[in-house]
Amino acid sequence: MKFDTIIIGGGLAGLTAGISLVNKGQKTLIVSSGQSALHFFSGSFELLSSSDNPFDAMKSLPVSHPYSKIGKDNILRLAGSAVPFFKSAGVTLSGESSHKRVTPMGFLKNAWLTSDGLLTVPADGTLPWKKAAVVNISGFLDFHSPFVCAGLEKCGLECREFAVTLPELEKLRHNPTEMRSTNIAKTLTGEVLDKFAAEIERVSAGCDVVILPAVVGIQDESECKRLCSLVSRPVKMVATFPPSVPGIRIQVQLKRQFCAAGGTFMLGDTVTEGVFEGGLLKGIYTRNHGDTLLTADNFVIASGSFFSHGLVAERNRVYEPVFGLDVLASDERGEWFATDIFENQPYMSFGLSVDNEFRPSLGGVTIGNLRAVGSVLGGFNPLKEGCGAGVAILTAMRVAELIS
Amino acid sequence: MEKERESIEYNFEQCIKCTVCTVYCPVVAVNPDYPGPKQAGPDGERYRLKNPLFYDEALDMCLNCKRCEVACPSGVRVGDIIQNARLKYGTKKPRLRDFMLASTDLMGSVATVVAPVANASLSLKPVKAVMDCTLGVDKHRTFPKYSSQKFVTWFRKHARKAQDAFPKKVSYFHGCYANYNFPQLAKDFVTVMNAVGYGVNLLEDEKCCGVALISNGFKKRATKQAQTNLAALREAVGRGEPVLTTSSTCTFTIRDEYAHILGLDNSDVRDSVMLAVRFLFNLVDSGKVKLVFREDFRRKIAYHTPCHMEKLGWGIYPVSLLKMIPGVDLTVLDSNCCGIAGTYGFKKEHYADSQKIGEPLFNQIKSLAPDVVATDCETCKWQIEMSTGYPVANPVSILAEALDIEATMKANA
Amino acid sequence: MVQEYDVIVIGGGITGAGVARDASMRGLKTLLVERHDLTDGATGRNHGLLHSGARYAVTDSESASECIRENMILRRIASHCVEQTDGLFITLPEDDLGYQATFIESCRKAGINAFAIDPKEAIRLEPSVNKSLIGAVRVPDGAVDPFRLTIANVVDAQLHGADVLTYKQVTSILKDDSGRVTGIGVTDLHTKQQTKYYSKIVINAAGIWGHGIAQMAGAQVNMFPAKGALLIFGHRVNNMVLNRCRKPADADILVPGDTICLIGTTSSRVPFEEVDNMNVTPQEVEVLMREGEKLAPSLASTRILRAYAGVRPLVAADNDPSGRSISRGIVCLDHETRDGIPGFITITGGKLMTYRLMAEWAVDLACKKLGVDRKCETAEVCLPGSSATPQEQPRVGTTIGQRAARGRHGERTSQISLSSDTDRSIVCECEEVSVGEVNYAIEKLGVTGLVDMRRRTRVGMGTCQGELCACRAAGLLAKADGCARKAISNVADFLNERWKGIRPIAWGETLCEAQFTSWIYEGVCGLNDSQEKRIQ
Repeated sequence: MKFDTIIIGGGLAGLTAGISLVNKGQKTLIVSSGQSALHFFSGSFELLSSSDNPFDAMKSLPVSHPYSKIGKDNILRLAGSAVPFFKSAGVTLSGESSHKRVTPMGFLKNAWLTSDGLLTVPADGTLPWKKAAVVNISGFLDFHSPFVCAGLEKCGLECREFAVTLPELEKLRHNPTEMRSTNIAKTLTGEVLDKFAAEIERVSAGCDVVILPAVVGIQDESECKRLCSLVSRPVKMVATFPPSVPGIRIQVQLKRQFCAAGGTFMLGDTVTEGVFEGGLLKGIYTRNHGDTLLTADNFVIASGSFFSHGLVAERNRVYEPVFGLDVLASDERGEWFATDIFENQPYMSFGLSVDNEFRPSLGGVTIGNLRAVGSVLGGFNPLKEGCGAGVAILTAMRVAELIS
Repeated sequence: MEKERESIEYNFEQCIKCTVCTVYCPVVAVNPDYPGPKQAGPDGERYRLKNPLFYDEALDMCLNCKRCEVACPSGVRVGDIIQNARLKYGTKKPRLRDFMLASTDLMGSVATVVAPVANASLSLKPVKAVMDCTLGVDKHRTFPKYSSQKFVTWFRKHARKAQDAFPKKVSYFHGCYANYNFPQLAKDFVTVMNAVGYGVNLLEDEKCCGVALISNGFKKRATKQAQTNLAALREAVGRGEPVLTTSSTCTFTIRDEYAHILGLDNSDVRDSVMLAVRFLFNLVDSGKVKLVFREDFRRKIAYHTPCHMEKLGWGIYPVSLLKMIPGVDLTVLDSNCCGIAGTYGFKKEHYADSQKIGEPLFNQIKSLAPDVVATDCETCKWQIEMSTGYPVANPVSILAEALDIEATMKANA
Repeated sequence: MVQEYDVIVIGGGITGAGVARDASMRGLKTLLVERHDLTDGATGRNHGLLHSGARYAVTDSESASECIRENMILRRIASHCVEQTDGLFITLPEDDLGYQATFIESCRKAGINAFAIDPKEAIRLEPSVNKSLIGAVRVPDGAVDPFRLTIANVVDAQLHGADVLTYKQVTSILKDDSGRVTGIGVTDLHTKQQTKYYSKIVINAAGIWGHGIAQMAGAQVNMFPAKGALLIFGHRVNNMVLNRCRKPADADILVPGDTICLIGTTSSRVPFEEVDNMNVTPQEVEVLMREGEKLAPSLASTRILRAYAGVRPLVAADNDPSGRSISRGIVCLDHETRDGIPGFITITGGKLMTYRLMAEWAVDLACKKLGVDRKCETAEVCLPGSSATPQEQPRVGTTIGQRAARGRHGERTSQISLSSDTDRSIVCECEEVSVGEVNYAIEKLGVTGLVDMRRRTRVGMGTCQGELCACRAAGLLAKADGCARKAISNVADFLNERWKGIRPIAWGETLCEAQFTSWIYEGVCGLNDSQEKRIQ
């Protein structure tokens, strides 16, 4: 089978690259071994959340950092196109002004683009409300009102905690482990959502705003919008523990957009081998397609970091498992970790070594038609710098430009 | 480069507890009594290794759709872990009903002989009521009709000889459905293969693939049948013939379940067993054959990806082939389980869940109002026809109808 | 008003817990004081092996006899803490098969029912065993959960009127003018508040830290810290204890315990300055892996959850200050006769297996001094949760969580509220810990934080090491004590405590899991130390 571009990895980076390429008329294939890290989404994309002025702070990043490789002007341009890019896939993001997201533990963290409907706090820390009703679902253990209240009270918001339930949700609670955000979201649709809205309306009387765990709207944004329209007070949501409903929604919408534009998405398949010839990747074999060689002019690897299995650590070795590409990593296990879990952990910055056009190398030889995007890249610490999503989106957009 | 992680033993340890599987389980969304794939699979397995007393009979509610495996980012064979646990630790004895539902070929052989009677009585209200009460087969369920002549009988009488004319040959694993219930599909397959210049051989000895035996707990019989099939497959592959199929579930069972659940080594034939649509697509894609379509063929088609097709990862083949037909307006339906899962939806205790699982799919089909729904699985066909009223056809049958057979034969002569 | 006790027991390990139980059962008014949490020292950092004594049979017949006697007692009185798995001592081609006969003979002399079995039979009994074995001896080894055993002893002590204080560090031993010990001064580790407690007798059962306690009282006990490192694997590879049939050496015991199995131990002397902060070195990990794979080859492909190390208190005989003649037996020191310090007793040496006997000796001595004539009954009376005739687990109609809880709390499970859907909801999915069980631990088992909760319920002890459950459990803690901030900082501490054990073995799936955990807590939740410091 022949494609213009084959992308390995169907998460945020892979889908961003995929949509950018199909939009340009490329015949594009995404091969994804399982669902992506968007399922553990915080509700906001971060650009460089360790800094209050991310675009300024980027100037002082080392040259090996993916942002430095994209270049300042490109970053400004591409970042500016992000909101309309996602809008075209049905993903509404707010990010006109600098703001902070509210985490499930009640912390405020700098955000770049936040999924519509989620609670954000402006940079100056002032909220337009005085009294909030923080409403959890009875028996839902992946959202803790006390944590969120403790955080919001620091912003001067008086919080009152409530828990609501419905017979349909009670049925779900019957299962000791499956009272999860996504199962709640699958329940809270149609008439059940109407009843849920009425309950919220009732308990939140006297409050200026309703704050909910993000457990509505798994397929698209319509149920969220409907809920907001059914309640007379503003309704804002806060991300929960995984699985993340807003994250899955974005995954579903991006994939839908990619396929609608003509892209092919193969889920649950794994690349088993690459065929290289003269410094170029000619084609790949996958587990499901056996002896069928999938060929393309260009390839993108967007296979993620360790927990997505884009990188693999053995006792004394870190490697990239798809092609065995060259990685930036130490072979001395003693150098992988810091003592305190909250220190800068060196292993977090491990990843592919690429040139300035994001081309990785194999045994020192740059592969001319292969590019790497997202968290499989080395040279940055997505957690400490707060730039995982920013790197995924912007490297993907940049690489899509470089390819066509 | 990536080492195949094939051994089921300890595969559950690859689970990093990310909960993605629970998002895609069709059962847990409709029935809270099912523990969910994470708990039933990797989490439960640790406990079962500690003490088999931790086995939970609720694992019977698993559809074996493998959507958890397709979704898992860590390569955990969640569905296999659950199926293996059911076979290893399950204490419930299979019922007569399970035996009847599982014995697709035995029941088929008997029913084909008395097809008119069987069909009439299986659709009679009193008979349905008796089956509901005494056997636990849900009365709402429409039984697939039995054909009065088996495909194999027809083939020997009318088609076998003509196959000698083709220098290139494929073998055909027809499966129980095409043999007993719907020989037209098998006939369509022969038509299409002949049109592109391939003669068809049947296997020396074909038994039911065993999928229903496995899901109903008859591991020993399933293993015996699988061994017979493997021997026949080896013989065909030894002749240099790929073994083609028209059922995604049989294909998946032979390729994956034989090794993963029955513990049989099928590695020598696995890659040679494939759906006809894959074989055809590869021939067309590589320019080895040409398909010539009728100009007057017009259809609005909705393609449903069966769960096991999703697991095979082969949806691209029927979809690409259907897209080649000029008069086809094709929509690929959202990937959702139809709820039938083989014999699962026939059982009284699962009927309600089965229909609820299929609801999003049925609704999408109804809102599209296609001329025909295309799918590669016979039990999906029954379920969708019964639940939506729309006709369902195998992509091979649609191809047979859409092809200008004579022109195609000429083009490939 | 100053409350006076008959006995103050220092140390909340298994020995201290056993002493507190025995003393309170004999009617003594007892206080147990622990510096951190119960089982924080060597008690929570060993194999959890219910020794048959076979391991010591050749080299130390006295210890071997003690072990088998206590082994049989624990099976009876601590049924919910013990798994009667039996064990194998295997001979590999590299070992001397001739040792087997000596071994069996020594076992028999010590009263241990050891008999040789055919290697094929050994493989049938324990399929994980190295198939190249050339000999096998079956012995009545088993597994004992030291957390459960300690908590059960403490609960029983409390039921008999004892008081228990945790997170209270002993900072002084009080004496009257005559030099008699009259009590202790303690500092609360959280509030830094200082308090004094008085008693007629102070029993030092502080393990390796007893060295310092004795010094506070003015006595010198020759102790030598011996570090032993172990690895925990992700699931039960073996269902019988596996040993090597040779002279005891490094990493030659593989013990199944609850949902996991453990390989250990290494043995090395460490300086006293290090005993509060044991780290497992890469070399120790290599040794444990190499030797472990010889017992059960599949360990090579089994996920490792943690590495940890405990410190055994080795005690030199009094007449040997050089420390060369180390005893592994029980050392009960009457400091009145030994050092002229009345009212002060040290009980040390020994091992997990003989804790009950150690307690008996110490309390016998205390009773003698107090003029109390009550016989020790700890060998006959079952611990709370255990029963002489344990009931078969109900199979149908119970959730996996209920079955798991029964394994942890035995008969006491009836005190866990599991009546509502909320109570039955699972907090820790790996170890099947329910909301009801967590609340029971908070209300009845003296839990102050997540680390304590882990020891009492196994929250966070499973494959994911707290990835989903830490926050859920913290939410319940916050609800119970009304302080969200404290609960959140507790999560940070808990994750670091888990990380300490993960770090030495973080490769493969373990590293994936660790990265995922950091992603959730630091990424999604925004938890990090600088924010923590801002809260403080």
